[in-house]
Amino acid sequence: MSIRKLVTLGLAGLLLATTAACSSSDDDAKATPSDGASTVEAPDTLRIGYQQIPNGDLVVKHNKWLEDALPDTTIDWVRFDSGGDVNTAVVAGSIDIGLAGSSPVTRGLSAPLNIDYQVAWIHDVIGDAESLVARDGTDITAIADLKGHKIATPFASTSHYSLVAALTDAGLSTDDVTLVDLQPADILAAWTRDDIDAAYVWDPTLSQLGGTVLTTSTEQAAAGHPTYDLGVVTTALAQKYPAVVDAWLAAQDKAVAQIKDDPATATEAIGAELDLAPADVTAQLEGLTFLRGTEQLAPEFFGTKAAPGAFAESLHQAAEFLHGQDAIDDVPDVAALQPGIALDALDRTFGQK
Amino acid sequence: MTTTETKLTTPAPAAVRTPRPWLRTLGLRSAGVAALLGVWWLVTALEIWPRVLVPTPGDVWDAFLTVAGIRPDENGRTGFSGYTLWQHLGMSLERILLGAGIGTILGIVIGLAIGTIPLVRVLLEPGVTFLRQLPPLAYFSLLVIWFGIDETPKIWLLLIAAMPPVAVATAAAVGGVHRDYVNGARSLGAGRWDVIWWVIVPAALPEILVGIRLGVGVAYTSVVAAETINGVPGIGGMIRDAQRYLQTDVVILGILVLGISGVLLDSCLRWAEHRVGPWRGRA
Repeated sequence: MSIRKLVTLGLAGLLLATTAACSSSDDDAKATPSDGASTVEAPDTLRIGYQQIPNGDLVVKHNKWLEDALPDTTIDWVRFDSGGDVNTAVVAGSIDIGLAGSSPVTRGLSAPLNIDYQVAWIHDVIGDAESLVARDGTDITAIADLKGHKIATPFASTSHYSLVAALTDAGLSTDDVTLVDLQPADILAAWTRDDIDAAYVWDPTLSQLGGTVLTTSTEQAAAGHPTYDLGVVTTALAQKYPAVVDAWLAAQDKAVAQIKDDPATATEAIGAELDLAPADVTAQLEGLTFLRGTEQLAPEFFGTKAAPGAFAESLHQAAEFLHGQDAIDDVPDVAALQPGIALDALDRTFGQK
Repeated sequence: MTTTETKLTTPAPAAVRTPRPWLRTLGLRSAGVAALLGVWWLVTALEIWPRVLVPTPGDVWDAFLTVAGIRPDENGRTGFSGYTLWQHLGMSLERILLGAGIGTILGIVIGLAIGTIPLVRVLLEPGVTFLRQLPPLAYFSLLVIWFGIDETPKIWLLLIAAMPPVAVATAAAVGGVHRDYVNGARSLGAGRWDVIWWVIVPAALPEILVGIRLGVGVAYTSVVAAETINGVPGIGGMIRDAQRYLQTDVVILGILVLGISGVLLDSCLRWAEHRVGPWRGRA
């Protein structure tokens, strides 16, 4: 028995030590940024979560505009494949700025996640780049024909949101069809094998599928279900280093300006990041709508501090959808979502001087 | 589940009062589980990490009640992704039993062939060893391209995962059968098939069962990989779905259910092993 007791005691000691170590390292992590704040305006490192989506974020990354604007800061670009993973990384404190679709961001701003971040930028408004297509050889020509058929989409994405919205508007419920959770590459494989009849997915997979287009995210936006790729900034960063957020916003605005005014240069940068030919990038950019900073202050988007725009309302609608999907506990009302938009920073950078 | 709970309520005293060794083992094991639960509770109580990332034991218990269909959540829903926990588990077990079952039969046949026919050994052994080294996710992408997204690629994956350990164990067991048994049967006039069926298989059976246990174990650990694509219903699909929505309590629930059902399945096979070859490890 004595040896066992010894072992038990040893284990207990080890546990206490581990717990102590964990909590102390946590304190260190908290202490470092505040030390930095007292001396310099920008943090030592800025960690940015990006995705392989053809938009201004990749132009900023490729041209190192942020590195130039913040010379004393090390910029870490971390690649993510979905907004859900970006949410996890923000909760874990691994990134300061991230890119995620409006669906994951709505989830992040609602219970139970309640992530401490703010929407500060619309990277793009999703248009024809995300569409619902039916396979050739099926007799599906309209959304209502989908009843009883198998439809694939990456769950928890903006496509998933648009698909369920389109089905609902056509008088179908998710029980009338078979929804399959597949990533874009797997959708392509299943499609060529005739395993699925329709898919709601984004480019470049969308272009590879072909088939009959039943609806696009442009149409869904017009029907009151807009989807976006959003830039989110942690509240901690926004409060501690407002100048950094301003510099990031300015760089993003510069990238959108280049996409609009000098598309050849922007396309080349995006193509280099995505390993795509400029012609393919041009085709994919056409499916997205880009907004300059001043345009994002319009009433149909963020609005201004004095007159908040309709953006919170569209987040609210997305939240209602997610609640119907059992993905969030409660639907936050518009007033509760409004603080989740970084109007301060937007006003500072793009407002009337 | 129920036995574990009763164990938990009376851990240490049982071990102290009775000198019987199995009771002491039971007590120590319960104490181990209780200690783990205690650490888990302590870590969540200290709130070292956000509760979204590390849910409390109570959160996971609530998730269990909801997903198992015992008590609806505040929105009146039960189950997860449209199925209850038992439907998820049943589907996963069905896949494992089907995949590992076919894999076991194939493995025994291939193992017997490798063990008894030298030419087959030369031909097949490298292939079996090659398959054994592959992580299931590596060939699953290929299986999806070939067999689609429904049940077929999942069964194939589990089959390929379960087959090599059984084949290797069977081949080794056949090779280890005492020469005198074979020669004795031969001298009494037994033919090739008589020897295999009446001498080699019975003598090798306990070792083959160890191989089957290993094979089922490998299939069990591969089921989450098999259910990464269109895996709902299925415990792997449930875990993946929950991860998408950052519902960590359901992820932990899925892991616990997989672990507990895996241990139960393994003890069934171990029991079968003792029944078939009670002399193993003693003779």
